[in-house]
Amino acid sequence: MTLAWFLQNLLNGLSMGSVYAIFALGYTLVFSILGIINFAHGAVFTLGAYLTYLLSVGQFGINGLLAGWQLPFTLPFPLALLAGAGLSGLAGMAVERLAFKPLRARQADALLALVSSLGVALILVNLIQYLFGAEIYSYPSDVLGSLPPAFIFKVGGKPVAVRTVQIVLFVVSLVMLAALAWFIHGTKAGKALRATAENQDTASLLGINVDAFILGTFFVSGLLGGLSGTLIGVSFGLSGPYFGVAYGLKALAVIVLGGLGSIPGAVLGGLVIGLGEAFLPPDLSSYKEAVAYALLFVILLVRPQGLLGGTTEQKV
Amino acid sequence: MAAFFDLYGFLCIMILQQALLGYSLYFPLMAGQLSLASIGFYSLGGYVAAIMGTHPAFEAWRATLGWLMIPLEWLAALLLSVVLAVAVGLPALRLRGIYLALATIAFVQVLNVVVLNMPIAGGAVGIFGIPQAFESRFAYIWFFGPLLLLTILFTLRLERSAAGRNFMAVREDELAAGAMGVRTTANKVLAFVIGCALAGVVGAMSAPFLNTWNARQGTFDAGVACLAYVLIGGSRSKWGPLLGAALLVALPEVLRPLKDSRLILNGMVLVLACVYMPRGIAGLFAGRRA
Repeated sequence: MTLAWFLQNLLNGLSMGSVYAIFALGYTLVFSILGIINFAHGAVFTLGAYLTYLLSVGQFGINGLLAGWQLPFTLPFPLALLAGAGLSGLAGMAVERLAFKPLRARQADALLALVSSLGVALILVNLIQYLFGAEIYSYPSDVLGSLPPAFIFKVGGKPVAVRTVQIVLFVVSLVMLAALAWFIHGTKAGKALRATAENQDTASLLGINVDAFILGTFFVSGLLGGLSGTLIGVSFGLSGPYFGVAYGLKALAVIVLGGLGSIPGAVLGGLVIGLGEAFLPPDLSSYKEAVAYALLFVILLVRPQGLLGGTTEQKV
Repeated sequence: MAAFFDLYGFLCIMILQQALLGYSLYFPLMAGQLSLASIGFYSLGGYVAAIMGTHPAFEAWRATLGWLMIPLEWLAALLLSVVLAVAVGLPALRLRGIYLALATIAFVQVLNVVVLNMPIAGGAVGIFGIPQAFESRFAYIWFFGPLLLLTILFTLRLERSAAGRNFMAVREDELAAGAMGVRTTANKVLAFVIGCALAGVVGAMSAPFLNTWNARQGTFDAGVACLAYVLIGGSRSKWGPLLGAALLVALPEVLRPLKDSRLILNGMVLVLACVYMPRGIAGLFAGRRA
């Protein structure tokens, strides 16, 4: 229980937690507008990681349809990160057009949107497997250019190591959060977005193009998904086309913990779960994957609306 | 006929087994509650049967009870499922909306982590050599067939009983049902527990059928498949889970010539079915009601 031990876990927890936060925000944005959980978000996360890998490394190895095929160019990592995230945003828009819009147009049962988004997730994940194969990929160690792999400083005589990747994770997430907060609260389009989330019919009467804002929300959601997929991929490698599923489910625990539909709640929930995993005692480390879900049950018991969620009265 | 069973007998039993898992989600859906828990209770039931069938601690029981051990395994799986279902369902079902789906996803994930860390469950390798109940695999139709028949009969009776009508009242309008004096939380929990108990028993029957049992039996993807049976088959019809399971279990076999791309098509079928058959296959036969 030294200060160094505490600082090390705090840093680990904050960098993971900030990625959980921006990933979970992708769910929250869609939920606050449509009241639906987009189960294809985990697949977009995977897609983003693979696209950035393709753009920065240029090829995928041995299996899959594209084995041995070489991209004619490669991008430096920061550009590939942005391009991968942008393409994931487009994938998010495709998810909305394939899985959600046709059902909205037919006023179908909300449960069906869950299955259709899972269907799109199945398509995306298996498409990735078909094209790129199922093996594990890791980014080359020089992906971040000439930066050293880690910074080590001493606290009270004990070393604390911060991987450069962790700093990238934290900084990119913070920048995304700031940009999103500015967009939602500082621009006219953000105001229109909030109006759409409040009440679609009224927003539409006020001259807001609701359909365009829904599509835009899916773009931002996909962008956040792809970005967080890349960040996790850089940190831990791409462990196959299904690696987004587990993170996708964990992020669901994040949004319940913070409060469904609450943007600050998703951020807080992400940080709580990131820190919770980091501070888990070493002899319980094999239970790390269960931390998020255990917290979900606790919150359902003691504060079902989530840490920052408000209660809404249901009117008849 | 014999050639048909040689080729497709296993597939037929899979359809019955998967249809039963579909029914285990049909009951909570009767009360308007979306659950993804079936696969977790299926996995749990399988572990109960696998441990009772192979663990040395139960050696004396197996020696004295003989074949009676098998129904005892079903009973143990049923009781454990009921207890856990109440524990999972009660906190989530006090709330309206999507919370049960999220809590059941969490349950499935936690169960997998716990099982992987329990020495008695064999870790990642799982449990091997579970004693067979029959010599031929096709004979397992005597497990799943009668259980499916019972489940359908139970559903028929339930629809006409007070409990079933309460479920449907909660599904149509939870506030109105509550105002009419229906105990909404209790009814939602009951519907959920019935489904989980069924899934637990199906798991206990499946452990000898599949001979080995491991954590891969309880993945999230398999849980989604169970939900797809009900919704594609028709969540408002008692035949829905059976129709959905028959279609979706047979589909990969039909699409086998397409090899790697068949899972992509599987996803497309899910999307198209949601858009063009919102009331499922059963809804196509039900005609156009207002």
